[in-house]
Amino acid sequence: MHSPTAQKAKIIWLQGVTCNGNTHSFLNYEGFERFFQRYDLLYHPLFDTELGINDLSKFEENFDFLILEGAVTGNEEFKRGKTSFAKLFEKLAKKARYILAAGSCASYGGVFKEYDPENITGIVFDKESKRGIFKEYENKTVNIPGCPLHPEWLITVLDMLSIGKMPHLDEYLRPKELYAYLAHDGCIRNEYFEWKIDVKDFGYKEGCLYYEHGCRGPMTHASCNKILWNSVSSKTMAGMPCIGCTEPDFPKTELFETKKYMSIPAELPFGIPKRAYLTVTGITKAFKIDRLEKRLIDDSKRDN
Amino acid sequence: MIVKEIIERIEGEAELDFTYKNGIIENVKIKFPHFRGMEHIIEGKSAMDALVITPRVCGICGHAHLIAATRAMEDLYKNSSNDIEITKKASDIREITLNCEIIQNHIKWFYFVMYPLIRSIQKGSQEFISLKNKKFFEAQKAVVQISKIIALFGGQWPHTSYALPGGVMCDPTYVEIVQALSFLDEVYGFFEKNIFSDGVEAFLSCSNSELISKDGDISLFVKNAYEQSYEKIGRSYDRFIVFGENSLFKSGKVLTTIVYPVKTKYVTEKTQTFTYSKNVYYKDKFYETGPLARQMLLKQPLVREFHRKLKDSAITRIVARVAETALLLQKTRDLLKCLDIDAPSYIRPKKNIHKISGSGIGVVEAARGSLIHKIEIKEGLVKKYEIITPTQWNLGNGTKKCPGVAQKAMIGLKDKKLAEFVFRSFDICSVCTTH
Amino acid sequence: MARVSKEERREEIINTALRLFSKKGFYNTTMPEIAKELGMSVGNLYNYFHSKEALAKEIIIYTSELLGSELRKINDLDISSKEKIKKFVEVYFKIAQERPEMIEYFLRVYLSNREVFKEGCEGMICISAFVTEIMIFFEEGVRKGELRDQDFFSAFGLFMGYLGGMVFLKGEGILPNGLDYYIDDISENIHYALSYGAKG
Repeated sequence: MHSPTAQKAKIIWLQGVTCNGNTHSFLNYEGFERFFQRYDLLYHPLFDTELGINDLSKFEENFDFLILEGAVTGNEEFKRGKTSFAKLFEKLAKKARYILAAGSCASYGGVFKEYDPENITGIVFDKESKRGIFKEYENKTVNIPGCPLHPEWLITVLDMLSIGKMPHLDEYLRPKELYAYLAHDGCIRNEYFEWKIDVKDFGYKEGCLYYEHGCRGPMTHASCNKILWNSVSSKTMAGMPCIGCTEPDFPKTELFETKKYMSIPAELPFGIPKRAYLTVTGITKAFKIDRLEKRLIDDSKRDN
Repeated sequence: MIVKEIIERIEGEAELDFTYKNGIIENVKIKFPHFRGMEHIIEGKSAMDALVITPRVCGICGHAHLIAATRAMEDLYKNSSNDIEITKKASDIREITLNCEIIQNHIKWFYFVMYPLIRSIQKGSQEFISLKNKKFFEAQKAVVQISKIIALFGGQWPHTSYALPGGVMCDPTYVEIVQALSFLDEVYGFFEKNIFSDGVEAFLSCSNSELISKDGDISLFVKNAYEQSYEKIGRSYDRFIVFGENSLFKSGKVLTTIVYPVKTKYVTEKTQTFTYSKNVYYKDKFYETGPLARQMLLKQPLVREFHRKLKDSAITRIVARVAETALLLQKTRDLLKCLDIDAPSYIRPKKNIHKISGSGIGVVEAARGSLIHKIEIKEGLVKKYEIITPTQWNLGNGTKKCPGVAQKAMIGLKDKKLAEFVFRSFDICSVCTTH
Repeated sequence: MARVSKEERREEIINTALRLFSKKGFYNTTMPEIAKELGMSVGNLYNYFHSKEALAKEIIIYTSELLGSELRKINDLDISSKEKIKKFVEVYFKIAQERPEMIEYFLRVYLSNREVFKEGCEGMICISAFVTEIMIFFEEGVRKGELRDQDFFSAFGLFMGYLGGMVFLKGEGILPNGLDYYIDDISENIHYALSYGAKG
């Protein structure tokens, strides 16, 4: 591995079936200039890098990180430059020391899998099962899901690997350092969750989004409320329910409403047994707590 | 002879197949190789899922897709005789976040795409590596700041789904407003330091000759173009169209600087055999959409002056994009300062979408021009979804006699480097074009 | 004779008070009466429960837990919702006959004197052991497609109101037959009502 004084680690950033969202998320990283002092981005499809797409098929050197953005496809017609994507990926995968799946598509198939479920998968995984087209590279792959991924998640993993610290991976190859947390952890609405006070409706800073509005924060592994988005916010902080984009089953359907069976949420907070959950929370708000029922900042216009 | 050229750094890839005759580009086919079937992915899902799926059409203008999807559903409510109401606050917040997305797009396009290209043309053979240039990092910092404003309201950027039929999900306080204003200030500073030395306001009121006499990258661009005599290349039909409206943009089509009203019912799509992108026509004609079209409708003085002198050349297009950046910075500041945060953010539609059948159209001005979403649902489930993206307007392939907008702009050029320059002046987005 | 443990003594108090409260009502029963019935001093009784209200609250928790543990056994069985309903009805009627004071207490003391349970028994906290099992039964029934999805309380009211009503009629001497006579029909009625229109 590279010591801080050694030469820069070499990165090739390749795109599969993608919307470029991870690239644009990467462009939100605040330490960009310092990043390029540590890393040499040999190829990136959006930037004017040293290598162009057609140089990649002739590229024979070993390098440190292959970052894949987008799902992989076995469809030979899907080309990058003049080479089929699958061939190019395989060639580069062999030369790379580590493969980083940047985002949910590269990790598990993501949104685009739904159009061509036969051909499209993540690198190692196909949704929850380890049936990705390139599963033989499991040993050097780290998944960094999210739609998009958070730039700091990606750069944290790059930096960890660069100083020789292998992240602890969970069953879906996600670094536990980033994904052992739930999106729920650190949410500024947590007190409302604890007292079972749902948001009155969309568009309120007060209230929890889990009970009625489909928030998947308590079931989703991500550090969105630990490492803030664009350094300033998160979906649940702003008022949007978590949509579970870091999980292998993303995208689910019927978002923005909580599926319930006889008023009981169909999906309970991760790892909490149903009986324990129901015993503690009860079916109804047992207490009426004025402070939590009131608006945080009183204004007469909106309460009528 | 056909020369194939892969074009990168355009949100995906395109292939340009040039046909030369006597050393001059006689025809060029524009091909987009990657199809992802976004419309099919949405079909069969619950209508509200479109708010999550459609932004994923594109990583750089996903927010425009969210707003188009939201408006299509709001239109659907209206068409099926169901009241839907949104407050000025909600529409202002949507406009603020959308403006910011357009601003970040224009900055990226200018500094990551056009800047290295124009420098390489200027310098001749020397390949210019943008990643080692200070400008690249300064532009990226500005992009970081502007994206933060979207995140303050939408939770994150890219890929928020914080708007929905009836309003927006956020409930900002003055904390978010003053933070947003301060991030915006930094982008004003960036504009003044790099793009135009006299700053945003002065840029919008300057003349062609003043622009050339000042410091800053847009001045440098235009000077270079004049010095090397390519200020007039890249002309096309000089026909413009805009469908989306908000407090700044107006809809209409412009023919020889005269404005006429437009209706989306005259928009038609046609499949092509050799590329996944579909052609789009208005009453069977190609039109240019995007910042130049919008500025022509707004009669922005600097852009109109360039247009008088250079018509719809690549340089006019570039100046229009920079002028739009300045206008949107101003507009966003005004919207932030006047935002009535006490009004409701969201008014729940009276009828649940699961009980509605019908269709609707949502139109919005995205960074690259008019974006149209059409939705048809039955009891809340999507039966049909159609997306017409701005780049489909500009990058369609016509016949030799009647070429598409960008095609026409490239035909007649000698140099493929200049053709690439003209092509990129349209701000290409491969992922949107094919979706 | 083995010394009675504090815990056993506590349970004895609860059972005695339960009997007296359900027979005479909450207000007509005094702490000295309860102490007398138990053969203990009033002072000692107060060592166990600092007030009559606290004792009343403990009783409802005790009965809820007892009923809850019976229902949990049924919930844990791998049988259909229809079969579970029948077993629920059987257990409820069995308790109503063997320990009628428990049901009486719930109906005549807990539900009729809500002001007594205001502090510390808000909402359904004190009967959560029992209600939790009902919730789990409903939730799983809907999930499996055997019961129709609806608001919890509309289903809960149907179930408990029906059973409570039958026990009340029995207690008033109005029912011509014993409770067991009605088990099959009642189970079937409840099942019909809760499953009508279910997905499965």
